[in-house]
This record gives sequence, structure tokens and C-alpha cells, in this order.
Amino acid sequence: MDIELICLMSMLAVFLLANLLLKLPVSVSMILGAVVGALVGGQGIPLRHLFEGTFTYVDTMLIISTAMLFMTVVQESGALDALNAAIVTKFYKVPALMLILLMFVVMFPGMITGSSTAAVLSAGALVAPVLLLIGIPREKAGAILAIGAIMGMAAPPINIPAMLIGGGVDMPYIGFDGPLFLLTIPCAVFAVLFLGLKYCKNMDIEKLKAGLDLEVGKKYGVRLYIPIIVLVVLLVVSKLVPSFPQLGTCLIFLISAVIGLFTGKKFNFWKKSLEAMETTIPVLAKLMGVGMFIQTLTLVGARGWIVVSCLGLGMVFVYIASFTIMPAFGAVSSYGAASVIGVPFLLVIIQNTSCSDIVVAAVLAFSCCLGDLMPPTALAGNYAAQIVELKYSKVLKNCVIPFLVCVAVAVVCILNSNALAFLTK
Amino acid sequence: MKRIPKHILTASALCLCVVGLVIYLAIGFTSQRKAEPIYAGPGVTDVKMLSHWFPALAGSNGDTEVYILDSGKPGASMLVLGGTHPNEPSGFISAVTLVEYCQPTSGTLYVIPRANNSAFTCTDPQEAAPTKYYIDTKNGTRWFRFGSRATNPIDQWPDSEVYVHASSGQQLSGSETRNLNRAYPGRADGTFTEKVAYGITQLILAQNISITVDLHEASPEYTTVNAIVAHENALNLAAMTLWEVEEDLSITIEASPTNLHGLTHRELGDYTNTLALLMETANASQGRLHGAIDSELVVTGQDKFYARAATYGAVTVPYTEAGISLSERCARHIACLVQFAEQYDGPDGVISLGAMPTYRQILANGIGYYLSDPQ
Repeated sequence: MDIELICLMSMLAVFLLANLLLKLPVSVSMILGAVVGALVGGQGIPLRHLFEGTFTYVDTMLIISTAMLFMTVVQESGALDALNAAIVTKFYKVPALMLILLMFVVMFPGMITGSSTAAVLSAGALVAPVLLLIGIPREKAGAILAIGAIMGMAAPPINIPAMLIGGGVDMPYIGFDGPLFLLTIPCAVFAVLFLGLKYCKNMDIEKLKAGLDLEVGKKYGVRLYIPIIVLVVLLVVSKLVPSFPQLGTCLIFLISAVIGLFTGKKFNFWKKSLEAMETTIPVLAKLMGVGMFIQTLTLVGARGWIVVSCLGLGMVFVYIASFTIMPAFGAVSSYGAASVIGVPFLLVIIQNTSCSDIVVAAVLAFSCCLGDLMPPTALAGNYAAQIVELKYSKVLKNCVIPFLVCVAVAVVCILNSNALAFLTK
Repeated sequence: MKRIPKHILTASALCLCVVGLVIYLAIGFTSQRKAEPIYAGPGVTDVKMLSHWFPALAGSNGDTEVYILDSGKPGASMLVLGGTHPNEPSGFISAVTLVEYCQPTSGTLYVIPRANNSAFTCTDPQEAAPTKYYIDTKNGTRWFRFGSRATNPIDQWPDSEVYVHASSGQQLSGSETRNLNRAYPGRADGTFTEKVAYGITQLILAQNISITVDLHEASPEYTTVNAIVAHENALNLAAMTLWEVEEDLSITIEASPTNLHGLTHRELGDYTNTLALLMETANASQGRLHGAIDSELVVTGQDKFYARAATYGAVTVPYTEAGISLSERCARHIACLVQFAEQYDGPDGVISLGAMPTYRQILANGIGYYLSDPQ
């Protein structure tokens, strides 16, 4: 038995023991798993590597923190209440259309930033109260947000796993829009209708109005929406206009949050932001633990063992692994899945078949994005659950069928990649 | 949300431990800023900094040594870039070998061993790479830094989610924002990395460099490996070189894609008169399939997982348990560099690198034999 496999098994065993039996937090369990893996691999306690591993997620953690501040401001200023009231009163007569539009709203920040976290924490937080108001159960609403955020992350114009996979084989990020739209739009529409439609067929508008704050919108008017408008405009302009200064998603969230302090109801920003950060620290800690874990996997050679073992099982297994192991690797990092597994898989597929390379890369990138649903990280699921105030396991259970439909669509696309090659033109 | 109860003493003690740990680790991380010695050999006639051609780089971590080896006879000129990606050691070590061993007999050779000097000062998270590797010379052991593919975030951060190449508008993953070989031709008012690229472009323009060769490595599963990638203007030179070296080594030529921007072989060929070429050798410490990386893997190139992957047909170069050593990878680079110079016959004359070791000599003696001893 390879020593790398022994290291991998030790890391997983210690993680599961610490998390499930000792009930330690996921973050601490992952650190313990990493330390034990390094010891078994003869690396001692590799402080440098444990520390360096956490830096994998520094940018993500800053985006999450600043998005949480933005979300707090939008909620407390009354903008969220006003937006909910406006959407429900205008669209309650056409629930299917309303649900699809709300899904696109959830997807939009993901499409622009390539991040499911940004999508779920910005648009997801805006849409969640509407979904709950129209009678969709919390766990289903959370699942809609999680799937919507992931479809947004996968949809064009920005799909970062596709860029990472393409970058690994010197394939320019050109021609991906068609395949990615084909993969994401039908799945998003199916998910929101499957999860939500039956709960909003017989909406009683008067009952709904009783749960809405119709006054805050009248009192502050359009200015309530200024932080949301600023956020959307800055995200779009900074991505689509190359000459515009690159502010970065964190700064855009912060600018929008600061503007929101002056456009609606007054509140104690310091107290509310502390509350928001308290809720997010466990997820940030989890990301740091994951960073240490994956760095240790590489340090002891277990990463190589995993990838080579997958490749050794033949082309059929490579296809199967593309829709099982690759999203599962998202439990560690969906971007990591793209870089570590996506690149060698794409190379093997295009070297051994005559598939359309862009369609295959798009499908693999889509599969990587689904990894943001995988526990323990499950960034999209975690934050969707937090928004609807549930444990994330309940939200994830409701994501199973949409997830399987996404996988089925991806399988159909990869098996018919040549027929879909016209989409890359 | 249940508030966490305050335990001020415990929290303070933990904070102090964290501060101590961070200081200890920071000392380790900053030690990577100490540069490995490069000893100017008998052929070196001048050493300038890149800021000589682009003064805005002066005093920054982007400024880097440009070794000038002037034969004293007029002729053509060649620029060799090593260390564009400091996690690709054969490019760097080949450039260092030129500085320490080469004595051109006509024309002028310019060598930048650390093209992205900043990227030598850090390693990539998730890659668990060693910070140093060691090469035996005739009378000692030299150390060299194993760095990152990208500029140190201390010098350029944060990355945007999407990197937009300035002159073409091409979109790439944000992780490429700090990649020097996606930044050409560079911008005088751009990012740190774009400024370094701009400095190199200015050098080429100012010195009217005839040939520019960017030395790289790629993982053994990559499609462009053991290859010369040539701008369309340099395809003839690449073909003549291939003809001369093919008795010793197998190598392919690829035309620089016209739709992949920011790379030396595309942009330097488009924006200057230089014949732009890039070379790739197979580096087992670089890909996704290798086991644990240490100095041994970097130098010997032996990895059991790559050997296993080769039996599955998952690598694109011949790979056995014997590995592909750093000496063999440097031998490829140096053999082709010698021939690029020999085969060039342009309006500005010729260039010859003089008595450089052959491919077979480097394989037999090891690359350390041609490096200076540690001083």
C-alpha cells in the first residue's frame, strides 16, 4: 500500500473522529487531520505549510466578510423590506415568471463575479425574504438560493473554473458562453420551479401584504435602493469595462455598504456588523482549516495519489469521476477541483477522444461549480442555510434532485459535445 | 445567534501565542527574499538593472539584474529570459549557466536569470513546494530558491476575479493577474507585473534585440512540452534549430497561437522586431500528478506517480522511473539556445555563444559541473 494512501486515510479518519465523535468544529477537525497526515507522512508538524495553506482563501474570506457587512446594511436600512414589497405586489399574479426572475436575480452576481458566495450573500439575501413570504418552506428557499448561486457561478460571462481549466491547457476563454448557457439556464429554471412552484400557485395577496412593510418604501423612495444599484453598477462596469479601475469585489461591497448607511433607516452599524461577523467566523475558520488540509494533502503526496488513481481506472472512470469525484473535491475547493483534477481530466479526454475541447472544458467547469454544494465547505449551501436560518444539512437535502438533474444535463452535453460544438462559435 | 461568552484572559493568551507564531513564521517567509548568489563568469562584460531601461522599476522588487556578455565583435544580439516562472527551475538554472560559463565569440548576449524577481520570494499556496533546492558543483553544493509561478502578493494584491489583458482585452482567470508571461507587452502605468513586462519590452526595443528566448517548464501531462513555441517570424529559426538538435533530442515546434495573448512568443513578436521563441521542458515537480515535492524531485525529476501515469498514457512525454533530471532539462535548453544563435543570420550580423557544453556533455557531467563553485 502506498504511504500516500495511508496518509490520506489517516487524515480522513482523524477528521471524522474529531468531527463526528468528539463533536469538534469542522475547522478544528480539519486542522487535526492535517497535522496527523503530516506526522504520518514524516513531515513533522509543518507550521510553514499549515500557515501557507490558509492563504489559499484569503481573498474569499475578505469577500465573505465585506458581503456580510453589505447584507447587514441592506437589511437594517429597510431596502430589503421595500424591495420585497415591490416584487411581490407586482408579480404575484404570474408566480412561475416571478420565480424564474427571482432565480435570475440570485444568479446575477455570480455571473458577474464568478463566485457563488458573492451571489448568495448579496442577491440571495435580497430574494430569500420574498421566497419565504410567498410561502416556500425555509429548506426549499435555501435550496433555491444555493442552486441559483451555483448556476450563477457557472453561467457566463465569468466562469472561473473554466478559466482555470483553460489556463492549464493554454485554451483561451473564448467560445464558452454558449455551452455554459446551455448547461446553466435549463438547470436553474428547473430547480426554481421544482422547488418553489407548488407553494405559490394560490397566493393570497392580502395575506401577503400583511407580512410586508409597505411603508418603508413610501417613506424613503428610490434612494433606499441606491446601495444595491451602486453594487450592481460597480460590479458590471469593473468587469466589462477594462479601462475602469479594478476596485475588487471586497471594495465594491464596502463602498455599497457605506452608501447604504445614509439612504434609509438609521441603525447601530457597529453593533449590527459585530453580530454579522459573529455568524460568519465559523465559516471563515472552516475555510482556513480546508486550506491547511489541502496543503497537507499535497505535502505528503496524497493529492498526486488521488489524481493518478483516477486516471488509472480508464476513460469510462474518468467520465464517471468527472461527475462524482470532481464535484466531491469541491468539498475542499471548487477552484481547486478545476485546477487539480479538471486540467488532467481535460487533457486525458481530449487526447483519447475526438470531443469538442471547449464543450468538454465547459462541462468539467460546470461540474466543478457543483462542488460548492459539497459539505463540509459547501459555501453556497452554508450561506443559503444561514440566510434562511436553518442547519445547512436541511438545505442540502433539498438540493439533491436539482443536483442530479444538473449532473444529467452535464452528462448529456459531454456525450454529445461534438453536436454542441456549434455553440462555441 | 448565541453570543460567545467573554474570556478575556484566555483570549489574550491565545492572541499572544498567535502573535508569537506569526512572528516566527514571518521570519521564515521573509528569509526567502535572500537571493541565491549568481557569479558573473568570464564572459560577463557588464551588469545593469532592468530599471536602466525602465526607471520606474528602480528600488522595487521588480528590478532585476541584466547580465551583458559582449563578445567585443559587432553582430546580432540575443536575450535569454530565465525565471519568468521560478517554479520552473531549468529555465533559471540554464540562464545562470550562461552567466557563469558562456563566452560569446560574436555579437552580444543579454541574460535575465530572474525575469520575475518578485516571484522568487514566495511559493504558491496549496502546492506545498520546497523553498530551496540544491545542486552539486565540482567542489561544493549550491542552493537555489524554488519560487512561485506568480508575483509575490506582497508586491501586487489583491487579484481581480478576472484578469483582462490590457492590449487585447482577453479575459483570463484572476490568478493570471500576477503571471509575468500573461502581461506582455506590459504597461508603463499598469500593475507591478505589467511594469516588469514593460521594462523587458523596453530593453528589447532599446537594444534592438535580434532573438528573445523565454525559458520555461511544463508538467509532463501538458500538451506543449519538450517544445519550441515560435512567433510566426521565428518559425524558420526554430525549424533550423530543430534540424540541428534532433540527433540528440526529440523536440517539437508549435506556432504561437494568434488568439492567446500576453505571452512572450506572441506579444514580443508582435510589438518588437525580435524573433520571439519560448521553450518548454518536462518538470515533474510542477504538475498535478506528482507525489511529495522536495529538492530531490526538483533535481532528479524522479516521481513514482508520473511513472505510473505514463503507463496509463496520461503523460505526453516519455517518462520512466529514471525521471527527467534537471540536468537533462537544462541540456535541452542550452543545446537549443546555442543553435538559435548559430542558425541566426540576420541583417544585424551573427551571434555565437562560443564553446558551450553539448547536450551529451551536460547529461554526462551534470549541470552542476558547468556552474561556478560556491564562494
